[in-house]
Amino acid sequence: MVDMLEAARLTPSVERAALYLRHAADESRHAKLFLARSAEIRREQGHAPLASPTADTEGLFAALGEEFFLAFVHLGEAVALGQFRIYIDYFEAKGQSANHALLAGISTDECRHEEYTRSLLVALSGSEDAAKKAISRARRWRAWRAWRRIGRNLSGGLHGLLMVSLYIICAPLALLIRLVTPPKGGWRQLK
Amino acid sequence: MSVVLGISALYHDAAAALVVDGEIVAAIQEERLSRIKNDPSLPFRAASACLHRAGLEARDIDTVVYYENPYAKLERVLLSLMRAFPRTWRQFPRALGSQLGSKLWVIDQLAEGLGVERKRVEFVSHHESHAASTFLCSPFEDAAVLVVDAVGEHASTSIYRGKGAALTGLQSVDYPHSLGLFYAAITAFLGFRVNEGEYKVMGLAAYGTPRYRDEFAKLLLAKDDGSYKLDLTYFAHHIGVENGFSRKLESLLGPRRPSHRPWNLGTDEDQHYANVAATLQLVTEEAMLGLARQAHTLVGSANLCLAGGVALNCVANARILAESQFDRIFVQPAAGDAGGALGAALLGAQRLGEGRPKALSTAALGVELDLSRALNVATEMGLRVRRVDSPADAVTAKLAAKRIVGIASGPSEWGPRALGQRSILALPQERDVRERLNRVIKEREVFRPFAPAVSAERSSEFFLGVDGDMSPFMTTVCSVREAHMESLHAVTHVDQSARVQAVTAQGAPLLHEILAGVARHNDMPIVLNTSLNGRGEPIAASATDVLSFFARHPIDALLIGDLMIERGS
Repeated sequence: MVDMLEAARLTPSVERAALYLRHAADESRHAKLFLARSAEIRREQGHAPLASPTADTEGLFAALGEEFFLAFVHLGEAVALGQFRIYIDYFEAKGQSANHALLAGISTDECRHEEYTRSLLVALSGSEDAAKKAISRARRWRAWRAWRRIGRNLSGGLHGLLMVSLYIICAPLALLIRLVTPPKGGWRQLK
Repeated sequence: MSVVLGISALYHDAAAALVVDGEIVAAIQEERLSRIKNDPSLPFRAASACLHRAGLEARDIDTVVYYENPYAKLERVLLSLMRAFPRTWRQFPRALGSQLGSKLWVIDQLAEGLGVERKRVEFVSHHESHAASTFLCSPFEDAAVLVVDAVGEHASTSIYRGKGAALTGLQSVDYPHSLGLFYAAITAFLGFRVNEGEYKVMGLAAYGTPRYRDEFAKLLLAKDDGSYKLDLTYFAHHIGVENGFSRKLESLLGPRRPSHRPWNLGTDEDQHYANVAATLQLVTEEAMLGLARQAHTLVGSANLCLAGGVALNCVANARILAESQFDRIFVQPAAGDAGGALGAALLGAQRLGEGRPKALSTAALGVELDLSRALNVATEMGLRVRRVDSPADAVTAKLAAKRIVGIASGPSEWGPRALGQRSILALPQERDVRERLNRVIKEREVFRPFAPAVSAERSSEFFLGVDGDMSPFMTTVCSVREAHMESLHAVTHVDQSARVQAVTAQGAPLLHEILAGVARHNDMPIVLNTSLNGRGEPIAASATDVLSFFARHPIDALLIGDLMIERGS
């Protein structure tokens, strides 16, 4: 949602700003619906509801430019819609009407998001072919992001190991620090 | 011409502030632009918006001043991690990664991100930034300055003497002893998010009784000279644990409250937590009073300037004014870490030979509205939008018709309070308003009070002890006069207090005019004023944020500049 708000603020087009704001409002409504349903399920199981998720952004609009941003959002909506359809069928088969209704309602919006981002992308890039190219580029970029995420996790693990080793090596230093600079309460003179 | 940009970042509430020729031109929190609540990231958006407001570019900047010393901070982090060896083995990799990965290189990152030479980027100390942010903006020629927060480089509490344009550091209490981290730990114990839930604890405290004095005396050991010491065995901030308290605290006060469980103060369980909040608040107030008395003893001035996150505890501020030897108190509206950007900029300006700026009279230092874009986007969204000749009259008419109205006027506010530039207004006499606002629009806990905005000229008719230095920025509380408690029910807290904003024409011109209009309607120049944001969101800043808020929340009408937008097709 935050990325859509940023897009609404930064796009030079008033028409697109209005569409992005509507999109953000939809996403905000979806988050509330998911949260409400999650709270219902947790209540049935005797648990307290979960916290509202904290909004996050990667500053995609400013980083990617509007055309690529639209391709990325379009792709995200298409992937989400595909996943939603699997869940809709699953919940229908299981007879879980509340979950089915929730996802079916939201998927209508997702479908609209997928369509409007596609139309805007075609208009902005100038042709159907150019839009397809932008979407392919966005697909490659998604894969690259996934790869980077794996890389980050791997390097995080390695960093952790190295730091713990360093920590153990620092044990004598820790003893020295405790002796020389024990934490003191009360006033320290600054002058 | 001297142009100084102050920056605070990388802990919470990053911000940028611009001082030109010694005067404050703009001050903006990054969260208002990134739309991430309490955004700690380097505030390049805010810096750019500050420069835009002044019609300047990065190449015009003489000095960029960062609000703390990154090297001293690294030293403190390493010392405290090593001191608690081996209990810090889990935190060590994360803390070192964060310090060495980004925080240590902040000066270079700022130079690169802003496009200025490295030699133009300087730093000052954390508490000095805080002290400057309040004293240099205050109306006082001399004052004692008390900074109380979680922690800077080493100090968590410090006292300065302010005289003319000079600040002299006198005493400090150092980390890991910290009043801010003490409050934060109990905030986490009560199930709230640290750096965000402290206001909620303050509101909750009024519903409890301070029954746990003996238990709290074990946690915080206050001395006669105003200093204090924490019994660290009850806490965990010094070993890097995020919620800041140890299991021993749960042995003392009972199990922590699960986060996000809905509050029901009718139950014994939640009443217990309200009692914990009440005790915490009382102990904090007394500690603040002790610190203020020490500041008075050291400095001898009749004036006190407060800064740091704990200075946003408006109930404590009211007690200091009532019970200490100080005649006047000033708290800069962004007293928390964001305010450090302003202090850093002012100190940078001093280094360039500038004097003190004019005393702060308005918090409207932020993002301006683009009204033509607002009109076009609102029209494109199919909203019912029209221009009005008198925005104040249009809002007054809506309020009189029992509507809840959002207003956006002029530059956005600096600091965590909506002060009439990005506010939601309603008449406080309407019984169901508080309920509707809390449950449907703001979606927040029922115990959190709403604040009244009252015309400064007539504030004493309705409230007792309205303070002319703090009330314009909503950093203190007053009592509601008994005769008006019934009619001001929606803005009166359970302890008969109210966090009053005394509105002046200079501080918030539109709101002041609206209050005059409301007084013509019912002879009470008072409105309920709450911030224009939903749950977990930063306050709206730009015109698109304001429109987005309207699209997502069921307020009845919205005023942006001279554009009135109403519900319906």
